[in-house]
This record gives sequence, structure tokens and C-alpha cells, in this order.
Amino acid sequence: MPVNVALGHVSNAFLIAALVIYSLSVVAFAGDFAFGRPRRAAAAAHGQRARDRAAALASVGAASAASAAGAAGDQAPATASAEPADDAGTMPELEVPALRAIREAGRWVVAAVVFAMIGAAAHTTAVITRGLAVHRAPWGNMYEFITALTCVAVIFFLFAMIRYRVWTLGVFVMGAVVVTLGLADTLIYTAPGDLVPALQSYWLDIHVTAMTLATGIFFVPAVLGFVYLWVDRYTRRVAAGQAAPGNGIVRRLPTIEQLDRLTYRTIVFGFPVWTFGVIAGAIWADQAWGRYWGWDPVETWAFITWVLYAAFLHARATAGWRGRRAHYVQLLGFASLIFNILVVQVFIAGMHSYSGVS
Amino acid sequence: MLRALSRGTLPARALPVRARRRRRVVLAAIVLAGVLLIVVLVTSLAGSGNSGVSTVGGNASTVVYQAGHRPLAPEFTGTTLTGSKLSFSSYRGKVVVLNFWGSWCVPCREEAPILAAVAGKYQPSGVSFLGVDVRDTTASALAFTHSFHVAYPSVIDQSSAITLDFTAKVPIAGTPTTLVVDRTGHIAGAVFGTVTYPGLTAIVAKVTAEGG
Amino acid sequence: MTDVRAPETDPFDPAAEPDDHPRPGPSSPGAAFGPADWLKWGWRQLTSMRIALILLFLLALASVPGSMLPQQGSNPSGVQQYYTSHPDLAPWLDRLGLFNVFAAPWFAAIYLLLFASLVGCVVPRTFRLAGSARTLPPRAPRHLARLPRSAEYTTALPPQEAVEVAARVLSGRGFRLRRPDDADSSQDWVSAEKGYLREAGNLLFHLALLGVLVSVALGGLFGYKADRLLVQGQSFADTVSALDEWHPGRFVTAADLGPFTMTLNRFDASYIASGEQRGQPSSFDARVTYTEHPGGPARTFDLDVNRPLSVDGAKVYLIGHGYAPEFTVTDARGHVVYKQPTPFVAGASGNFLSEGVVKVPDAQPEQLGFTGVFVPTAVNVGGTLESVFPAADNPAVSLIAYAGNLGMDSGAPQSVYELDTSAMHRLTASPQVLQPGQSLKLPDGRGTVTFTGYVPWVSLAITHDPGQLPALICGIASLGGLLLSFMIRRRRVFVRARSGPSAQNGTTVQVGGLARTDAGGGFEAEFAGLAAELRSAHEQAAQIPPVQPPQQQAAEPRHEGE
Repeated sequence: MPVNVALGHVSNAFLIAALVIYSLSVVAFAGDFAFGRPRRAAAAAHGQRARDRAAALASVGAASAASAAGAAGDQAPATASAEPADDAGTMPELEVPALRAIREAGRWVVAAVVFAMIGAAAHTTAVITRGLAVHRAPWGNMYEFITALTCVAVIFFLFAMIRYRVWTLGVFVMGAVVVTLGLADTLIYTAPGDLVPALQSYWLDIHVTAMTLATGIFFVPAVLGFVYLWVDRYTRRVAAGQAAPGNGIVRRLPTIEQLDRLTYRTIVFGFPVWTFGVIAGAIWADQAWGRYWGWDPVETWAFITWVLYAAFLHARATAGWRGRRAHYVQLLGFASLIFNILVVQVFIAGMHSYSGVS
Repeated sequence: MLRALSRGTLPARALPVRARRRRRVVLAAIVLAGVLLIVVLVTSLAGSGNSGVSTVGGNASTVVYQAGHRPLAPEFTGTTLTGSKLSFSSYRGKVVVLNFWGSWCVPCREEAPILAAVAGKYQPSGVSFLGVDVRDTTASALAFTHSFHVAYPSVIDQSSAITLDFTAKVPIAGTPTTLVVDRTGHIAGAVFGTVTYPGLTAIVAKVTAEGG
Repeated sequence: MTDVRAPETDPFDPAAEPDDHPRPGPSSPGAAFGPADWLKWGWRQLTSMRIALILLFLLALASVPGSMLPQQGSNPSGVQQYYTSHPDLAPWLDRLGLFNVFAAPWFAAIYLLLFASLVGCVVPRTFRLAGSARTLPPRAPRHLARLPRSAEYTTALPPQEAVEVAARVLSGRGFRLRRPDDADSSQDWVSAEKGYLREAGNLLFHLALLGVLVSVALGGLFGYKADRLLVQGQSFADTVSALDEWHPGRFVTAADLGPFTMTLNRFDASYIASGEQRGQPSSFDARVTYTEHPGGPARTFDLDVNRPLSVDGAKVYLIGHGYAPEFTVTDARGHVVYKQPTPFVAGASGNFLSEGVVKVPDAQPEQLGFTGVFVPTAVNVGGTLESVFPAADNPAVSLIAYAGNLGMDSGAPQSVYELDTSAMHRLTASPQVLQPGQSLKLPDGRGTVTFTGYVPWVSLAITHDPGQLPALICGIASLGGLLLSFMIRRRRVFVRARSGPSAQNGTTVQVGGLARTDAGGGFEAEFAGLAAELRSAHEQAAQIPPVQPPQQQAAEPRHEGE
């Protein structure tokens, strides 16, 4: 089927629009740091309010779904479970409904969220029109792959950000998305086209879709990992007396425990998707190349990525490896993923060289 | 790493310093022993069987089948290099030396003079020689027979279908392979690889000496 | 994910069992550390999370050279090239096994140790899980309000009945219950626990990984891989001597090959003719005829890159394709000594510019050899022949002729794609270009070579892997176990009922709950839903007697919004 060039141009236009709007969102998130309403991100403040509310509600016996239950004893002693920060209610979730929470966060956050959502809509439209233009799933070469995965990352992050009310992380994630998309659009843009016969299989839809989803999901904890390390380093420097406490930006960021928990939850979400993607890839490899695992360079690096994220999950359960070290592992995992996409697929000869980049 | 490992379950104050150091050494020894054991296990169990390309050269292996344990050679028909039809059943009652070869096959070229000599010696006594030309073309095969003065016919087996039938009876792994078929049509001996003059003549003489 | 080695104690669980894993102290108290104790200690170290973590890192690290260096199994020519470009370094890398990393003993040692650690961890926990299938949840703590989640309300039901109703609700929701026994001081409580499947999922995941390893080993031992290049019009029978490459597993013999025969009837490839993607392939199609056994019915099949043929327990895959130009060579005596299509292999320059070799060992008086380049769509660019399109729109062949000793009459087998000219002399000063139908007359009356045309060839892979299906099943099982262990929380809910401050206030019901690990979040919502359900169940039960205390009326409207 011939490629619909007009739709291809439409897709490009929407992508540029998304880039511009995302940039506005980044500016607005940054503005929130500079000019926004002061909010205490520490859980302690929330916890105290929560306890007061719980005492008030409990005597009347309210037990309606979602909102009140979150208030009914949010703050528990830290030793509630064998794992740190998992059950201790350090996430200020669900006390107020989402829309009101956004409004309460201030004008800058409202603007940023609105921009981010409009941008996400434009981005999604760009991806969909690209797919319509080429009559297939729009992740058949590296440009399309990066466009799609950043879209997944943004949507996933917006869900997480609104759910856990972590507005201050927006500048980092959206900023990373803008940089990634910008680089993709300028350096590796590929015009819409057909796939080589080896890729003309319904397994493309299954395997590459799963990998796109998983990479997009892992994008978020990767950014959060850097934030974690920064906050962690600052906290340690303060404790050692090397830095003055009261850094305005860091104070507004979520606590170490919240960052750690959010990162953990996002990776827990993405790891099964990555596992499924690897399995689907093995099934497709068996169909196309006669063996389900041949240690092809891309296969090997997907395996390395899987092992490193598995190591992260194990590290969180190992004394001495929680915290900073676990995040190093997680970032190493994402680095291996990026290395796989950008270096291995392009430069190392194997059977996976479909990137469309010569 | 060893420091991390030694943060084990034994309370440190239960052991003197020397014992602790010894413990690390023993741990390293256990790990090393474990790795070596696994290496030995893996190298002995793993590894593929015979792999490689399909010409069999170098060391040939010879198998002689005792009477009563000889596989029956399958029947086949084919076209000879000169274009005439040939049926293997017409060879029943005679001792047949069946040689699988190809003009492209280096060990086959190496053994061709030996085969020609054995043929020269035994054909007058009534032993038949028949070639099966595998994965070859008529032009090249005929040129081969002219080069090496092959005095017996060969049947074309471009697709290796005849070889397939014989592989069900004897484990033919490539070319050259030479089979000696007795008068009842059973395979009495096989050389997987290049033949040697004394080796092949010994088998042919033995089979010829058996009563018909 | 739960800590594999953490003791399962719970500060709110007065009846919690301590970690019963024996500490490897001295066998007899007061004695020195004996060898058995060392082994126990060593085993405990191997199965610890820390070692598992280190082994995981080692596994990832060890895989890196396997992806960066050419590997013998998949890229033998790349290994050879590495030897040529790094002659000093290559032998050392080879000694370390770096050209065949994934079959190297040290790589196997890493994953075998990792799986030993896994087995040593998972098997005891499986027994513990099986054992805990019958253990009851702990008794309800005294002060439920101190739990992470709690709620309190009043009901008209007497305490015993309230607890009964609560027990029924919780049991209906799938919780395992514990009621007070006669020895307990207070009788009006019920404990409930749910989410045991989480640990089962965790164990299933790890055991399924072990299953994958076993399946891979199964395939390696009982499976085989084979390659065959087939020119259009040719047939081949599935027997070892007809295969180009034959890699059997340890316990596989040639007799395990299925007796099928296959003919390549035709092969078509189409390429994009214009636009930015000009030259990219758009479709391949190989039409084959095959019989499953000699004398069987002939069947046809369209072999495609993503569509293998299943026959005789093996699968035949279309891997690649190329061009085989046809040559006819007559020697000095005028005899036709070579007349066949010769597979040429495409190089890296693209557009199927292919290289190949013609060997004529039986030409008289001297053996002849030719190295050639086949150009599907030939264009003369400044004196060099280049291919500008992969389809054979303007085929041409360029040959260099040699005569002498090909080296085929003795010694090691040769590659059909390489010509050893060390014992030969060149006949033509420069490469000669031939169009289809043209001949090249060799000097000194040695004969002629005619380029008569071309046919396509395909390369096929024939594989059999008995571990394939088990590996798939184990892979899916591992995914299922992973999802179970991530999504299910182990959680406990306690209900206590006691008579209110005064007789008129009815019964105060306290509900408390905690999640052992709140990985996915959402226990708050579940707890809230449970508390609401308990409350409405109590109210329903309380409505059976007609008299209701006034407090309940006031509290009612709050629930209408639910």
C-alpha cells in the first residue's frame, strides 16, 4: 500500500506542536519552583493533618470509599513492615480529589499540567497519524520508536504525577522528554515508509509495541533516579555540614522515601512489560530466524537490561544495597537500554539492524 | 567484595581475628572449587556431536558387519551420467562396491585413483563397482570420470535422495562413503571417509570369498 | 518484592513465628568451626541475596563481550576478520573464550551458580509456603487504632453477632480466618489474612526461570540446526551429506533427521522501485514442493521470511537469498567440463553486488578457476562496474581467469566461495565483463567460459528444538508469577467488637488492617471498601430487629453518597 505522504506531513506538524507545547509546560513547571505557592512536600505536614482528620472522622464513623480512608491513619510507625517506606503512608495521596489538588497547587502547576496534557494529545495524534500514513504500527524504525516511547513516557508520567501529586517532578521528566524528542526529530528523522519484509509480521505489533511501552515506562524512573541521587547527595551534604539546609528547590521536591517508592512502583510496572516484550521477541525470532534465542547483540543487551532491572528489584531487598546503590543499578539498567537502542542496533551488525539509520 | 561477603551470620566476637581471616580464605577456596567443578561438568557434558561441512575427510572409520547383522541395502533406480536407466536390483547376486562421490569433493578426488586401482583388480573377478554422484552436475561429473579414468558407471543423485535412503541403514555423514554390498544385497562393510587400498581390498576380498 | 531472607516477623503480630533457618554455628557448643559448619556457612552465603545480586551483575557484565566481539556461532567470518585485523590480540581473546562467550565454561559457571543460589533459596521457601498453607493468621492485636489503616463505628448488634457477621463478610471476600479459641481472654474478635498467592507467584517466577534453563539445555542436547543453500530448480533430501552446515545436539544422530525432500520451484523478490526507499526489499516469496518421506504425496508451500514450514518434526526457515549466475566452460579439447548455476554471495556494498568463484578441476590440460563479481543492475561508473538496484534489471558478470592447481586433489576440503590461487597463474590481465550470452575466450586455446544467465538461490535453516515449547510455557509461567507477585499484597484485617461505653450505645466495632508489602498501592482503597461493606452488613443485620438506636439514623445519610 502506498504511503500517505500528506498524513505524514500532518504527523510531523503535530509532533512539532507537541514539542513546543511541552516546552511551555517545562517553563511553567520551572516557574512553579521560582514563583509558585510554597508547598511543604515533606510527609510530616501531611501526616499531621491526616491524623487530625482521622481522629475527627473516626468518631463519626465515616468510611466511604477512597478519600476518607486515606485520612484514617495515614501515618504509621515506620516499623510497620519489613520494608522501609513501602507501607508507611508517606505518599500524600488521595486526600483530595485530583482536580482540586491541581488547583490548590497553584496557577503555575495548573498551567503546566494543562500544557502537558495538550502536548500529550498532540503527541498522541502525531503518533496515530504516522501510523495511519504508513498503514502499520508506527514503530518500525528508530525515529518512530523514540517518538512513540516518549509519548508513552509522558502519558505514564502524567498519570503518576497526578495520582501521587508530585508536581515538582514535572520539570525534570517533561524536560527530558523535550530534549529527547528534539534530538530525535533533528538527528534521526526518517520519512514515512514501508517496512523490510522481515518486519512484515503481526509480531511487530506485539513485540515492538511491548518494548516501546516498557521503554516509555522505564523512561520515568530513569529521570526520577537522577532526581533521587541529587536529593540524596544534597541531604548527605547537609548532614555532613557541607551544604546549607533550606535549598529552595530541594525542599519542594518529594522526600527521598517518596522518590524511592515512586521509582520502585514505576519499575514494578514496567518490568513485566519488558519481560513480555522479550518473550514475544523470542517467539518472533523463532518464526523468522529459526531459533528463539541466538545471543544476537540486540537480544543480548535486552537480556542485560532485564538482568539489571532484576538486580535493582533484588537490591531493594538486600541490606546495604537499598537507597543510592539501588538507584545506580536502575540507572545502569536504563543506560543499557539506551545503549541497545542507539549503539547496538545501529553500529553492531546483527540480525536486528532495522533502525533505518544508515 | 570479600568484606561484604564476610558480613555473614557469624557474630564477629565469637571468632578471633585469625579465624576470621582464615574464614575468608576458605570461602574463596569454596567458591573457586565450585566454579572449577562446574567448569569440569559443563565441558564434559556440553559440546555438540559431529558438526561441520558434509565432506568427510581425514580419518576414515571402517565398519564391517558380520553375517546376520547386515542391513539390507535399499533398492533404487536412477539415470547414469551417460543417460541410461539403471536399477540397483539388477546387481543382486553380485558383490557391489558402492561409492558416494562428487566432483567438487576434495577427499573424493584424493581417493579416486585408489578406487580405480581396486576396480581394476576386482572387476575382472566379477565384483561390480557403482558410483552415486551426489549434489553434482553431469558436465562436471563426466569430466571427473575422464580425469580419473573411472571405468564404471555412476548414478546421478543430485538431490541426495538415494543417499537419504541409504542413511536410514548406515550412518552416512558425507562424501566420500564407500559401501560393500554382498551377493544377497546386504551391506557387509562401510568406509566413512577416504578409502585406503589395503583397507578396501581386505573388505572386498572377504565379501567375495563368501559363498554366493 | 519481599526480602527473600528477611525473617517474617511483624511488630503487630504477637504470635509471629521467628525465622527458623538454622544458623550455622559450631556443631557442638564450645567446639571450633568444623568442616561441616564451613560448608553450611558457604551454602548460606551462596543462597544469600547479596551473592545473588553479585552473580546477577556478573551475568550482565559477562554478556557484554559476547555482544561486542564477533561470535563463532553466529558470525564465523567476522571472527576470521578479527584475526586478520588484530593478529596479536585475537589468539588471547580466543584462549579466554571471548569468541564463543555464551558457550564458554566460565559463563556457564556464572549462570549455574546463580541458579544454584536460586534453587537453594526457592525450594525451602516452597516448603515453607506449603506449610504455611495451613497456619492461621495471628491473633488480633489489642489496639487496632494503631494499625496503618483503621476505622471504627457502632452497631446495634451484640458483640458476638457483630463478629460473626464480620467473619462471614471477610470469608466471602476470600480471607482466611482465625477465631478466638477457648484459651483466649477476649472472645470478640476475628483475624483475617489474604494474599498468600503473592509468595506463590514469586516462587513460580523463579522456578519458571529454572524451567527455561532446563528447556534450553533440552534443546541443546536433543535438538539440531542445519543450513542448506538451494538454487532455484534444485532439490535436496534432508540427510546430513546434503546439508551445508550440520550442528547436532549431544544426543542427536543423523538418523534423527526427518526424511523429507524439498525442491525450490521458484523464488521471487520484489524491491521498491522509486522514492526514498528505492532498493529496499518489499517482499520475498519462495515456492517449494516437498514430500514428507520418499514416495509420499508432493505438497507445495510458500516459504516466507516470517512463515516457516513445519515438516517431519523440524522447521524449515527462509533465511536469505542471492543470485547464482550460470556458466558453461569448455576446455581445450572442446568438452563441456562445467555447466551449472554458481551461487554468488552478496557483499556489504549493497544492491546485491555479489562475489563468487568458479572451479573447474577437470579441465584439460590444466585446472581452471575464475573469480567473479555478479552485478544485478550494472552501471559503469568511471570504469568500475557498480550495482544500482538489487533486482536483475541489467545483469553483468566480471571474471578473472586462472589456470593451474586448484588444490582440490588432496588435502583439506575447500570453501566453494573461495579460490586459492597460490598454485595458479592468472590468464586474463584485467577483469572481463560479460553480458548474458557472451563468452570469454581464454588465451592459448584453453577454452571458453560463457555466461548464460542467472537463477536465484535461497538459504534455508532446518532446525529442531524439543525445548522450544517447554521454554515458551516456562516463559509465560514466569510472566504469570511475576504479575502475581507484583499485584497481590499480603494483607491482614482484624475486627474487634466490644460493648459501647453504655448499654444504649450498642457495640463499638473496630476494624484494622495492614498490608505486609504495599507494592502496587491501593490497600487504602481495598480497606475502605471492606470497612464500608462490613458496616453495611452490620446495619443490614441490625435492621432485622425493628428497634434501632437513634445514633444510627443520624449516621445513615453519610452513606447515601456511596
